[in-house]
Amino acid sequence: MTCEQAEPFMESYLDDELDASLRAQVQQHLATCHSCADAHGRQLAFGADIRSQGPYYRAPADLRDRVGAALRKGRAESPGAWRWLAIAAALLLAVSLAWNLSLYATRARGTLVADNILAGHVRSLMGTHLLDVPSSDQHTVKPWFNGKLDYSPDVKDFAAEGFPLIGGRLDYVDGRSVAALVYQRRRHVINLFTWPYGGAANQEQLRRNGYRAAHWNNAGMTYWAVSDLSAAELMQFVNLYRR
Amino acid sequence: VNRPKLALFEQIMLPHLDAAYNLARWLTRNEHDAEDVVQEAYLRAFRFFDGFKGGDGKAWLLAVVRNTSLTWRRREQRTDRVPFDEEMHHTGQEATVEEGLADQAALAGLRDCMEALPAEFRGVLVMRELEEMPYRDIAVVTNLPIGTVMSRLSRARRRLEECIGGRRKATLR
Repeated sequence: MTCEQAEPFMESYLDDELDASLRAQVQQHLATCHSCADAHGRQLAFGADIRSQGPYYRAPADLRDRVGAALRKGRAESPGAWRWLAIAAALLLAVSLAWNLSLYATRARGTLVADNILAGHVRSLMGTHLLDVPSSDQHTVKPWFNGKLDYSPDVKDFAAEGFPLIGGRLDYVDGRSVAALVYQRRRHVINLFTWPYGGAANQEQLRRNGYRAAHWNNAGMTYWAVSDLSAAELMQFVNLYRR
Repeated sequence: VNRPKLALFEQIMLPHLDAAYNLARWLTRNEHDAEDVVQEAYLRAFRFFDGFKGGDGKAWLLAVVRNTSLTWRRREQRTDRVPFDEEMHHTGQEATVEEGLADQAALAGLRDCMEALPAEFRGVLVMRELEEMPYRDIAVVTNLPIGTVMSRLSRARRRLEECIGGRRKATLR
């Protein structure tokens, strides 16, 4: 496939709307063509921008009850009768916020790294710097880090499982240069940050501003996977990587 | 009220309440109107529920929400003293940059640019990007051929990029 042949399919590829054979052809083209892979990375980042910044408006807490009541009566409800429910919800929210803040304070150190990681993820989606080495080939991405880091990250591809590797990037976290491996799930970007670290093998998940991060340590390395995916899909990715 | 029918309807359609509200909120650009539209849409959907032939309840429900939003919009335009105008709305950009919060400015910028899109583009974009619906389901909701859905989506994205690009330039100036 040439750039001209791939171009009309890029948007459908982005939206995961191509049949398997066309998708494989476009994927192959992206693996070999840096400029198309770059453009694709930008489009992915733009979609992530829309999803993270274009607000998803959730229904107000009392709307479900009002719809239910309206269906039973056969006509629409006015909001007045349900206002106290909204007040109760606001109180509950205040309590849970206070609870979260107290948790936050006790985890200051770990939070600092988490902040770094989330900022790194958001930064990677904002401009044109998602990928330093756009490639779906693990044997291209891994050697690229040679000489740029004092360790060699474990690069794996999960295209067959629906999490294709799309490249890698150097990032800066916790006062050092680290490898960021970039994966894609439909239109979602996953950044996997990894660097040597001699901590215990704990595992945690956290959620902030619509993003989720999963963290674990293994064999002297620490890992942070960040994305706007659902918790289930992020865990699916983590389990694939740890397999 | 037919109880078993209502129970089935609620079981299938209430899980899509957030999606219904989100679409109505984007199409009406107003939270109070969105709530009214959602209630009305659920009442209408229940009335036509016999016509639901199974399959994806979300697309079926959102089609009703979209139609209700469009009816609401036409009614508003008739009765409103000031008819709604895309251009007028577009110029209503508050100077968020002065608050010094780049993130907030970016957020407001993207939201304003999405709200400034013509309704038919906005709806398609919201269903694709925020609801992550496949082209096929968006075609069901909008009652358009898939090819038209694709071209609208593509134009919506291009317009949105232009709008955001324009704002970035204006901010830098």
